[in-house]
Amino acid sequence: MHMLHLTSIPFLLVGFFFFLAATVGLLRFPDFYCRLHSTGKGDTLAVLLSLIGLSIYEGFSLTSLKIMFIAVFMFLAQPTSTHAISRAAMRCGLEPWVKNKEEIK
Amino acid sequence: MISITDDIIIRTVSRVLVPFIQIYALYVIMHGHYSPGGGFQGGVILGASFILYLITHGLKDAKKRISELKAGLFSSFGLLIYSGIGLLCLILGSNYLDYGRLSTILRVIPAQARSLGILGVEIGVGIAVMAVMFSIFFDISTGGVLPEDEEGLGVRDE
Amino acid sequence: MSNFLLFLGIGLFTLVFLCLYRGIFGPGILNRIAAISAIGTKTLVILLIMGFIYNRVDMFIDISMVYALLNFIGTITAAKYLEKEGEV
Repeated sequence: MHMLHLTSIPFLLVGFFFFLAATVGLLRFPDFYCRLHSTGKGDTLAVLLSLIGLSIYEGFSLTSLKIMFIAVFMFLAQPTSTHAISRAAMRCGLEPWVKNKEEIK
Repeated sequence: MISITDDIIIRTVSRVLVPFIQIYALYVIMHGHYSPGGGFQGGVILGASFILYLITHGLKDAKKRISELKAGLFSSFGLLIYSGIGLLCLILGSNYLDYGRLSTILRVIPAQARSLGILGVEIGVGIAVMAVMFSIFFDISTGGVLPEDEEGLGVRDE
Repeated sequence: MSNFLLFLGIGLFTLVFLCLYRGIFGPGILNRIAAISAIGTKTLVILLIMGFIYNRVDMFIDISMVYALLNFIGTITAAKYLEKEGEV
């Protein structure tokens, strides 16, 4: 059983690293669309890796199968909600941020 | 008046996910003995699946799937199950909702009869909660537009 | 192992507060919706880690699944409300 615990530690650490990267991106990016990039992609990958790590920790039982169901649902649902929010922002008329205003002309 | 989403991604993903949410709600109702759950929580999840369908596909499509008349009938049916089990225990000669007396009808020991009685009551509560949630959201989402030319509780549609 | 999970949970909890900054000060409503969705995702993982620390995972799994569901439905509703300038 100790082998399973040691195998699940790298998954959890990499998942935490991606959570940290996504949150730093949410705070520091200059525009709404860039922040949506970091939250939508980084959070989804982090949740997937964390749930895989937790299900390996548990071993092979009914509980780990249920955790994998949550992971599949998050894999389907979170990109869809990111897409819905960004479409709403486009319809509201929010314009992307450009670094130099002269380059568009 | 909620109209249909003209985005194909959201429509497809919602159509794929709604049956699985309903199966999960039934699991939560049935497994209420041993894990957090039970009748009311399962009913709320079941109602949330219908609300997801209504938001992404619009009011007209949702009316075709389950009309207002059927929602009303479902809520009354759930209440009938709940009160019916209680009255059955009363008729058999004991207190209201005293499930031990059901063992004379079902031919099991009283402990199993109590377990089955609770399960039946939870199913009734789940159905009633789902129907009431859907009904309230339906009434709110018309947006103050009265039904023109007397549609009559959604029974007759174009 | 229990200590490792406890520190991981405390770290994730600190990240929730960092996300809350964007939820309070984000200019406009769209930033706030994105921040709340991110907080919901982190809460789901924190719930499962708490289940593992107390050695009763089968209690916390159903709750975390329901929370993932509600987060998804809430974000889609909010996005649909904003598309049409006040109508849903």
